[in-house]
Amino acid sequence: MKTKGWKKVFGFTFVQYIKTKSFIVGTIVMCLIVALLAAGANILPGLISGEEEVIGGDSQTEASTTNAVYIYDNCSILLDEDIAALEAMGLKIAQTELSVDEMIDKLINSENEAMVAVSELSSEGVVYGYNVKTYYSPDAEGKAVDYVTLSVQQLVNYRNMMNCGISPEDYAASQRYVTTSKIAAGNDEWNIFESAINYFVPIVVSLVLFLLIFVYGQTVAQSIATEKTSRVMELLLTSVRPLAVVIGKVLAMGLVSVLQFILVILVGVGAFVMTAPFGIGGEIMDMMNSAEPLIGEGAQIVEAIENTVGNIGAIEIILILVMFILGFLFFALIAALVGASVSRMEDLTAAMQPYSILGVVGLYLAYFPIIANVDSMETGAAAVNPVQIFSYFFPISSPFALPSALLLGTMDMAQVVIAVLILAVFVVLVAVLVAKVYEAIILHNGNRIKFSDMIKMAGRK
Amino acid sequence: MALKVDSIVKKYGEYTAVDSLSFEITKPGVFALLGTNGAGKTTSIRIILGMLSADSGSVSWNGKSFLAAEQPIGYLAEERGLYPKYKIMDQLIYFCSLKGMKKQDAIKALDYWFERLNVTEYRDKRAEQLSKGNQQKIQLIAALAPNPELIILDEPLSGLDPVNAELFKTVIREEIKKNKFIIMSSHQMPTIEEFCSDIVIMNKGKTVINGNLNEIKKGYGRVKLTVKCEGDITSLADECRLNATEITPNGISYNVESEQQAHSLLNKIMEKGIPLIRYELREPTLNEIFIEKVGAENEN
Repeated sequence: MKTKGWKKVFGFTFVQYIKTKSFIVGTIVMCLIVALLAAGANILPGLISGEEEVIGGDSQTEASTTNAVYIYDNCSILLDEDIAALEAMGLKIAQTELSVDEMIDKLINSENEAMVAVSELSSEGVVYGYNVKTYYSPDAEGKAVDYVTLSVQQLVNYRNMMNCGISPEDYAASQRYVTTSKIAAGNDEWNIFESAINYFVPIVVSLVLFLLIFVYGQTVAQSIATEKTSRVMELLLTSVRPLAVVIGKVLAMGLVSVLQFILVILVGVGAFVMTAPFGIGGEIMDMMNSAEPLIGEGAQIVEAIENTVGNIGAIEIILILVMFILGFLFFALIAALVGASVSRMEDLTAAMQPYSILGVVGLYLAYFPIIANVDSMETGAAAVNPVQIFSYFFPISSPFALPSALLLGTMDMAQVVIAVLILAVFVVLVAVLVAKVYEAIILHNGNRIKFSDMIKMAGRK
Repeated sequence: MALKVDSIVKKYGEYTAVDSLSFEITKPGVFALLGTNGAGKTTSIRIILGMLSADSGSVSWNGKSFLAAEQPIGYLAEERGLYPKYKIMDQLIYFCSLKGMKKQDAIKALDYWFERLNVTEYRDKRAEQLSKGNQQKIQLIAALAPNPELIILDEPLSGLDPVNAELFKTVIREEIKKNKFIIMSSHQMPTIEEFCSDIVIMNKGKTVINGNLNEIKKGYGRVKLTVKCEGDITSLADECRLNATEITPNGISYNVESEQQAHSLLNKIMEKGIPLIRYELREPTLNEIFIEKVGAENEN
């Protein structure tokens, strides 16, 4: 039997690989990076939005950092109640007898003070606008200055409207904002969070699968080339057939990649869960567990998560696993041939170039249609374009593209099955090629064997 | 038990690497597979081991088709190979397990061989930390630890210092005593003569000589004459129609057509009263046969 002994090759390759320093260090580094990213994704949005609140004015922290704000209302638009409103917004309004120029001189040497001059913009006696000009001490913080300027600007705008005879209620009504949505007929309306998930998940999934399938495929090539060039292969081949060596190695590296991936994901999830109480993770969990009906952004977030997770059933998980296995076999078997085609390790880099091009083209076919399709952030209906559909069926790109399509439910089951079958056929073709030429090329020494030579060998057999 | 190689042929395109090689090993001992570089020895060994498939011909063991992966066979390749980064013990256990040994049996056998070849201290080192000679010992252990019936040693002594070469020879003698079938390929003819009863000499894929070494030598007869005297014997050699093939401080060598021709030179030396220090009439050495046969083939 040509594959007898593959289990021993598998066991040895697996155990020895996970004992290598490069694997241990690489895994630790990846876990650390993913843990930091997961914790950062949890905590950073909270910190950033916290800063925005301070600038926006609900908090008085930034405003109160300005020691004094002097108002020069040159056009007498602001009323006393407006000044009181500014004080209520946290600004420390101060009085002065100094002229504008004197005040500017004073600000040069003062600590954390600001002066706001309000003036009319007019032409031929007709007022067409107002100018709010803020001077500030060199040590004043930018955010605090922005807050002062924005506060005065809002009040001038408000008072101008009042002077024009608009009621406070009408003014408030005029501040309502308008959002837009474009929905293809027949599709559900997506909220912004769902759109974001539909945009980013395929990108992330493509990249992760590329790393798992392509990078570990390269490791198979390196491992086989090392055995061939170090002449260990000759010793192995007295006990097992070459095909058993390939199968054992490919499956061992596949298991290593899956286990490393699961470990990294677990670390990422663990870091996210552990930092959840300090960030948005906890808020999202609270929202999802809330018994109260949610409104606004909270409802949109929960709906987006539920819609995405709702697409993942047992069949989808099995198909994703099948896709991963087929994709890994496809690239790893090609890598095994490449590894067996060289007689010197220094030739491996050059030999791997076509393989690298193959992998990168596959990734780009899966990746670029998503990047180019930024419109999908606004409308989910535009998320699938012809190139993307092609990437689902083309065997070079389908291992990277199809799993995300399954996750997001952008393909129906019949299409998925066809795509899986196409990839399976190509895996079989590559496996047949490997079975036919591997025994001949593994013992070849000398110049690197080209792919065209391999095809001829397969034909001769 | 017997290993039979029957008319194996291996071609690479128009080039014939092995052209109808046949031989049979019917009793335990060392069989020599000899030839110049590129003669087809390694290709033949790979075919015997099942690494390469022959275009025609067959290899059988005890009358059955020989499958190296399923037979107890030990192989020391010409170009040594170990995993440089892995521990010696780990990889040797792996190699033994591929031969069907259980881990405990493998450890027991390996411990014996570590001690026998004086490399116990290296069992937990990585291969890259060992000298070339010690790596060669480890490779020999990989070949012998599974206790194979058939052992193929491709240039087993190359690169070894005299002490370790002697150690390897002792181990080979021990394996012969254990009734092992050994195929040895080497360019060191004295070593081959020391161990081998039967030989095949290959040249450019073809078999040049095949048979029992003693019988081959007998077939040549005593045709190598070496004479050392305390005087000039050139004119006497000319009278006997003998041309010197080699002149060294140890004497003058001639190829003789018959023992009578050699004796006539001896008689003339004695008649002239030239003091004789050395007179040796012998069969050709394996080295001489090899050079004569392969050299003649390559000149044609």
